[in-house]
Amino acid sequence: MNVHADPLVDDYLRRLDAAASALPAHQREELVSDIRDHLQEALRQTPAGDTAAVRTALDRLGPPEEIAAAADPPPGQPAAAPGQANGLAIASVLLAVLWFAGIGAVLALVLGYRARTQIKNSAGSQTGSGLATAGIILGWIGITILVAGVILIAFHPNKPQ
Amino acid sequence: MSQLRKGTLEYCVLALLRDGQRYGFELVRALSQADGLLVSEGTIYPLLSRLRRDQLVSTSWQESEAGPPRRYYQLTDAGKRALADFSDEWARFRDAVDALVTTQGEQGDERAC
Repeated sequence: MNVHADPLVDDYLRRLDAAASALPAHQREELVSDIRDHLQEALRQTPAGDTAAVRTALDRLGPPEEIAAAADPPPGQPAAAPGQANGLAIASVLLAVLWFAGIGAVLALVLGYRARTQIKNSAGSQTGSGLATAGIILGWIGITILVAGVILIAFHPNKPQ
Repeated sequence: MSQLRKGTLEYCVLALLRDGQRYGFELVRALSQADGLLVSEGTIYPLLSRLRRDQLVSTSWQESEAGPPRRYYQLTDAGKRALADFSDEWARFRDAVDALVTTQGEQGDERAC
């Protein structure tokens, strides 16, 4: 028989796909296709419509949830701790806002760029790239204000005597 | 017990590949025949996927005489080394456990892999 047309097999593979939703997409597809191939081998000589044989093959495979649970958790951080905002990103925004006579703005840029790299390398376990970008933009604005201020003071034509 | 089974199972898979490549279904059936080793056949596939990601086995698709192509698994050099290390370790471990668990006579000589 061809397992692609069997409703019991279809239902089983759908349950497996749902149970494996925590896995990366390619790993999940591979798992479902491995199990489908297994069933195709197991039921190759079975006439179509022999539901008892299909049930036996599915029973031997075990519950789909158990199969999905035997797969690795997604790489990187444990699934229990979803993305924490990167600390440097927060510090970057704070320093940019406080400005500190321009020093804050410079630090905001340094920390902001560093935060973006860390977030990118964390493979999804850290969030806050929006914050980091905000810190960077505010940092550049701060630097512009600083430079404009210096130029104004240096070249002010009517310096008070 | 399930932790022990889980930890040992991957080396049993490697051991089954010692004499050459096999496809998934073949491996599953060989493992099912070893009494008490495999609870549900389906859990072998995530394990095979992990072995491949750890580069202990490599895979290749090959045509079958009937039906769709099959994914064959074979040991890599790293897989052979892991299996050899395990075999030594396992012999010592088994003897130590046997010595403690077996109180008198009657020693089970079940060989899983």
